[in-house]
Amino acid sequence: MDYLVESLWQALILISTLDRQLLQIIVTSLYASICGVLIASCLGIPMGVLVGLKQFRGRRLIITLLNTLMALPTVVVGLILYGLFSRQGPFGSLGLLFTPTAIIIGLSILTAPLIANYSLTVVVGADQRILTTATTLGASPLQAKLLLIREIRFGVVAAVVVGFGRAISEVGVAMMLGGNIRGSTRTMTTAIALETSKGEFAFGLALGIILLLVALLVNLLLNYFQQKT
Amino acid sequence: MNTLISLKNICCRLSSDFSLAVADLDLQAGTIYTLIGANGSGKSTLLKVLALLLTPTEGTIRFPSYPDLQHLQLRRRITLVEQSPYLLTGTVKDNLCFGLKVRKIPHHQQQQIIEQVLKQVCLSGFAERKAATLSSGEKQRVALARALVLKPELLLLDEPTANIDTSSVPLIENLIRQLPPQGITVVCATHDMEQPQRLGGTLLRMNLGRLDKLDSNSRH
Repeated sequence: MDYLVESLWQALILISTLDRQLLQIIVTSLYASICGVLIASCLGIPMGVLVGLKQFRGRRLIITLLNTLMALPTVVVGLILYGLFSRQGPFGSLGLLFTPTAIIIGLSILTAPLIANYSLTVVVGADQRILTTATTLGASPLQAKLLLIREIRFGVVAAVVVGFGRAISEVGVAMMLGGNIRGSTRTMTTAIALETSKGEFAFGLALGIILLLVALLVNLLLNYFQQKT
Repeated sequence: MNTLISLKNICCRLSSDFSLAVADLDLQAGTIYTLIGANGSGKSTLLKVLALLLTPTEGTIRFPSYPDLQHLQLRRRITLVEQSPYLLTGTVKDNLCFGLKVRKIPHHQQQQIIEQVLKQVCLSGFAERKAATLSSGEKQRVALARALVLKPELLLLDEPTANIDTSSVPLIENLIRQLPPQGITVVCATHDMEQPQRLGGTLLRMNLGRLDKLDSNSRH
């Protein structure tokens, strides 16, 4: 018990003194997650809205595919991208492996289906009267769709927040594509795994506390946007 | 009087057991029409056809005064207020602004029109109120105001007094009666069998999807 209390105390000291190494890892994690989710949002939101609004052949197939991709194991994404980015792979010459860019690409691929699916659900679940109201007020089809997106904006933001929650807590992609390189690609999750295995439990605990705080913030944001929806 | 909209041999099949049939209907400009009929008789469907939201499977809809206007331009001369209107998130003003913005009405004119119409529906001072916080009667009046700011030539009202308290009914009815002199043609679907008499104008009766009677009806 003393060990846990002592480690917790040291972890709190590390956080309160803004330990440089700790801060660097947090910044790397936030940078990769935010960039990854931004790219995923640019792909996922339009896709979710389009699939939600349009009726076309193959729509059900796309929805099934999005559902399947949501359950995609992170290590599988890491494995496939590792194969593509490794020296022998088709994109090996780009030198992306073990760089923050590789993590960002991995996180984008991982979170885009999640954001697309949540956006799709929000569009499908939107009040059917929104489009009719816009049309009866003289909106063109495009203006009516833009109004619909405006009306469901909090739901779409909630989808992005969910995506960020997944990205920040992800370990498989960050480990396989980033390589856990100190000062470059070490994220909170990979650092926790490494430092704990090295016996630096207090350091791991400090990162764990930060990760929990980020998760708490994400959930508070999610609740806020869900109440607004 | 000018014919605003003319429906000929309209048939609108919505399902295997329901279709709307209107052999001949000419709506005159600046007139009130009250549309009565049982539940499921096709009143709302007829309103949607008149609002150009539903395209009939057969027949023609003509606007004799505007033979060359495109669908969107015609649609912008018609406004439908539904029985349970959807109010956009935001303020009352946001709701009233939407249609004006779509029509690219300058901002300073928007303000003027909104204030004027809110006064008309007895909601002066409500412009900055959140739409979600309003009572159902107030929401109905906002929906009506949202339609009136657009100065439509044809205003379609689907049970405008169904969801409001009885004390607000005379206010809405009085407002409707003031519209024809302003050049607005009103078609008001109602369940209230006494409302046609109170509103005056012409009575349209729907029965099992058919528009089968057309009576003159003077206000008592």
